[in-house]
Amino acid sequence: MPVERISKGFKDISATFQINPMNDDLIALKNENAIARSLRNLIFTVPGEKPFQPSIGSRVSQLLFESLDQITATQIKSEIDYTIKSFEPRVKLEEVKVTPDFDEGAFNCMIKYEIVGTSEIQELTFVLEPTR
Amino acid sequence: MPLVNFSNVDFDQIKESIKDYLRANSNFTDYDFEGSNLSTIIDTLAYNTYITSYNTNMVTNEVFIDSATLRENVVSLARNVGYVPRSKTASVAKVSFVVNATGLLASTLTLKAGIVAVTSKRFINKAYTFCIPSDITVPINDSGEARFIDIDIYQGTFITQTFTVSSRNPNQRFILPNVGIDTDLLNVSVFNSEESTVSRKFAQFNSLFGVDGNSAVFFLQEAESERYELLFGDGLFGVKLQEPNYIKATYIVTDGADANNIEKFEYSGRLVDNNGKVVTGGVSFITTSVPSYGGEEIESVSSVKKYAPLIYATQNRAVTSSDYEALIPRIYSETQSVSAYGGEDLNPPAFGKVFISVKPQHGEYLSTTVKTNIKNELKKYSVTGILPEIVDLKYLYLEADSDVYYNTNLAPSPDYVSSIVRSNINSYSNSTQLNKFGARFKYSKYLRIVDDSNESITSNITNISMRRDMVPTLNTFAEYEICFGNRFYVSGTNYNIRSSGFRVSGISETVYLGDTPYGDMSKGYVVLFKLKSPTEPVVLKQNIGYVDYVKGEIKLNPINVISTSTKNGIVDVIQISATPFSNDVIGLQDLYLQLDMKNTTVNMVSDRISSGNDVSGSNYVVSSSHGSKSIVRGSVDINTTTEVEERSSIANRGLRSVVNTNNTTSSSSSSTTTTGTSYSY
Repeated sequence: MPVERISKGFKDISATFQINPMNDDLIALKNENAIARSLRNLIFTVPGEKPFQPSIGSRVSQLLFESLDQITATQIKSEIDYTIKSFEPRVKLEEVKVTPDFDEGAFNCMIKYEIVGTSEIQELTFVLEPTR
Repeated sequence: MPLVNFSNVDFDQIKESIKDYLRANSNFTDYDFEGSNLSTIIDTLAYNTYITSYNTNMVTNEVFIDSATLRENVVSLARNVGYVPRSKTASVAKVSFVVNATGLLASTLTLKAGIVAVTSKRFINKAYTFCIPSDITVPINDSGEARFIDIDIYQGTFITQTFTVSSRNPNQRFILPNVGIDTDLLNVSVFNSEESTVSRKFAQFNSLFGVDGNSAVFFLQEAESERYELLFGDGLFGVKLQEPNYIKATYIVTDGADANNIEKFEYSGRLVDNNGKVVTGGVSFITTSVPSYGGEEIESVSSVKKYAPLIYATQNRAVTSSDYEALIPRIYSETQSVSAYGGEDLNPPAFGKVFISVKPQHGEYLSTTVKTNIKNELKKYSVTGILPEIVDLKYLYLEADSDVYYNTNLAPSPDYVSSIVRSNINSYSNSTQLNKFGARFKYSKYLRIVDDSNESITSNITNISMRRDMVPTLNTFAEYEICFGNRFYVSGTNYNIRSSGFRVSGISETVYLGDTPYGDMSKGYVVLFKLKSPTEPVVLKQNIGYVDYVKGEIKLNPINVISTSTKNGIVDVIQISATPFSNDVIGLQDLYLQLDMKNTTVNMVSDRISSGNDVSGSNYVVSSSHGSKSIVRGSVDINTTTEVEERSSIANRGLRSVVNTNNTTSSSSSSTTTTGTSYSY
């Protein structure tokens, strides 16, 4: 029987490096915000970008330059699915939905997941568009 | 928790150290998750630390010649002690051809520097060109022939590189742009200007001895990426060049060892007569007197690291024997191993001489030409009055006879295990542990190599014997002395020396050498016998020499050998072997140890106890640790004649003295009849 993991508090540093006016310290990302940022980071990391860890990341950035169609959307979905399951142990993935937005030339992405140890379902939505 | 000391150069360990630090000293928690922002920062910090550690490590290592790895740095450090690494060496061949110049109104013909011959495409469709570094002029004789006899042609491409000295560029460097230059064939001339037709030839110098402000010399140093830089004088040491001096450097870019052993050439040179007319016809086929040899690669980094300090220690002078050993590889780049010793160490001493043995990388012996060249080069370094003598290598062959016990349950087949054992022994025989002067055959290591070859091997019994190949002068009375440099084992029950068969004048049968110890068993007589059966010797002649078992020497009185049963290639040899007193055999002085794989045997024996077939050991196959060899070597030539006359033609001159010295009365120089029955030890 697998060991059930229970999440405690998570605390990450904000990549904006702005100062919190309340305590003059760096702004911190906590719990579900920290995890949401982690997911976005993983999806936007290109394999090979992290030194000496060539497997971490997803090919999503590369797929954005493929044809804007359902096939690519499926590939992106599969890539997101694999990346989250492989590198983010804090969440249990419920659903990934990627739909092409032909008017904007982008993909709308929605990820639904449960933070391990809580029953709360989180939903993360963002737009994926190629940047040149 | 204190911050760890980042001295290692492993990225993961550095990253883990930073995480450990954060774990103990921070409120942040997400460093363990690869997607977190904190992880990105840790990656950056770890990468930065890694690069710093790597650079620090490299800088520290590259400062010292012992630990430097980059060629550029090793060469630079060697330069500090005045060492110029050996360049690639062009393979050289000696060829001859004749030009029919009957129709020419000229008195001489000049073969211009540059390409002379090409080869047909031999290996992987690669053809080689052979050049000469400078013009060769020969006279046209009365019969209208210009004969180019035994000229040296060098493999490679002939290249001319020019530089114009510029005072506007104070940091001007004269770097020859090609890789693979043979610096021995480099010629440098300096013209006053580019338009000038008169040049001054500059000589290559490695030291400042005899150099003054008017000396036309240049110095050479290896620059980046195996290229060479020309350095000229400053007016105090060597002529200083000035604008607009024009430097012309000619050299050969070679393929090194790849072009060795080529003997077929096609003429492709350029001939000019003394009137300046180009001669295109009338050239004969090229005949080769010496196929190409001596091509070598550029000196390796490890060699530079080894020899730079040694050469520095010699101070460019050959005084001690180790000076010679350090200098020879520099003079003759094909040296694999070298041994030098003073004549005073010999018995009897040869004062005023230094004896040098050189093992070339290819082949077994040096040619006479190479020996002469080395001796000439050594004169530059050796002390006046000391004569270097280059002697041929004396090989001391080792033969191992191994009975290898193996567990049949663990081995696919005895042949399989045997082939692994032989392969490992072969690797050992080719290793530098053996292939050097002063090498020692380490018996225990050999046993371990055999034992560790395969998991099925349970033990091995190995008998070692050592062998020298004596090259007799046929049809001539000659004395022979064969040194093994290792004490012999004296069994007292059998012959201690064994030989291959040979024939001597006055005896029609094939004879062999044996021995009879006397006194305190430290010495013995050498006997000459024939075989009545493979195990039954018939002594034909007592006392044809003596054996010193302690020194490991065999001396034969004058004997006239007319043929031998064994040949080494095309050379007649008499193989003589003995069992060493100690299984660890050393290569004394100029003796060069070689594990003779042809005569090394591996017999697979089933270990019936370990295999479970005979747990009690009742039928265990026992191998002798003392050997059970034939009394002769090689093919057994049996003669059933029982009575043989001793011929007075054998060893008459030396025989009497040996007999007298040893107080033996059993034989004399007159004829005596001996039979097989007299053989008893």
